[in-house]
Amino acid sequence: MLQLSFDPSANPLNNNEWSFPFFECIHIATFAMSVGTIAIVDFRLLGIAMGRQTAAQLLKATWIWTLVGLVIVITSGMVIFTTDPLRYYYNSAFRYKCIALLCAVIYNYTIHRKVASSEPSPLVAKLVGGFSLLLWISIVFAGLFYAFT
Amino acid sequence: MSLADLCLAIRDTEFFTAIRESSLVYPIIMSIHLSSIAVFGGLILMTDLRLLGWAMTNVSIADMIRQTRLLKRVGFLVMVTCGILLAGSKPDAYYLNPYFQLKLTLLALVGVHALVFHRSVYGNSAQLDRQPAPPAVAKVAACVSLALWLGIVCAGRLIAYFEPPKPHVASAQSSPADIFQRVKARTRR
Repeated sequence: MLQLSFDPSANPLNNNEWSFPFFECIHIATFAMSVGTIAIVDFRLLGIAMGRQTAAQLLKATWIWTLVGLVIVITSGMVIFTTDPLRYYYNSAFRYKCIALLCAVIYNYTIHRKVASSEPSPLVAKLVGGFSLLLWISIVFAGLFYAFT
Repeated sequence: MSLADLCLAIRDTEFFTAIRESSLVYPIIMSIHLSSIAVFGGLILMTDLRLLGWAMTNVSIADMIRQTRLLKRVGFLVMVTCGILLAGSKPDAYYLNPYFQLKLTLLALVGVHALVFHRSVYGNSAQLDRQPAPPAVAKVAACVSLALWLGIVCAGRLIAYFEPPKPHVASAQSSPADIFQRVKARTRR
């Protein structure tokens, strides 16, 4: 962590008016894309929407958009992180966010994908979909609570 | 009573004062506002990409539109309710804010978009599915929708970057409590 604690005033992102909000907008738009596409599968698993398709069909239709969204949202998040690394590092909401994000990505590409591409029983589907939705939303909450703690 | 007076009267009601002064309720409402962008913005995004023929091509346009309609309406309602609670409790930061004004204008245009394209696209999905590829009007509707929602998200984020005009300390309309509120509102963001 010490290597990252350079002087934030030397970061180009802190030296013009537009770049920080620009990366924030990209971050928000692409988390809508990644979490939103995962949520479509989750809503199907929960039995709330898209009942005429199977979860496997929806996963097949959305996975590439989820992946592209995740790559951009994490990259832009890292760029934002460099503007003040120590402040983020010592923030409890940010720490939760990092751990939850790691868990959510692993969960998404293991259990979630496996259940969504098989034919799960309604109970398993609801548990897996509901947990996924809650986990991703908690990351959004942590991202916002970072600014308030 | 001007619109500004009305906003201040709303702000000073017990309910909106409580939201503003709570260190927990305000960020929670903001988080719900943001989460609904993720969850329901994603539905709008995928519907638009389906109309463009870029994604979800294994799902018919009719299924995509009809099966997400209810969820989108619920999401829109949650999003707008949270937005009203946020803006109503801190009109000082929003009323004169050009990004907020831009956001509301774009939101009004979303309404116009729905009216303009309802007959040809959103209420006509079965007809669209009978054609080999989505027609130009569906693609135009999708592009306009994407542009409007992206604009709303960006304008929403930029609201935080506008400094409200500083109150005149000597002015009779700015009590110390007022100034305190403004300073607090600004440091909170």
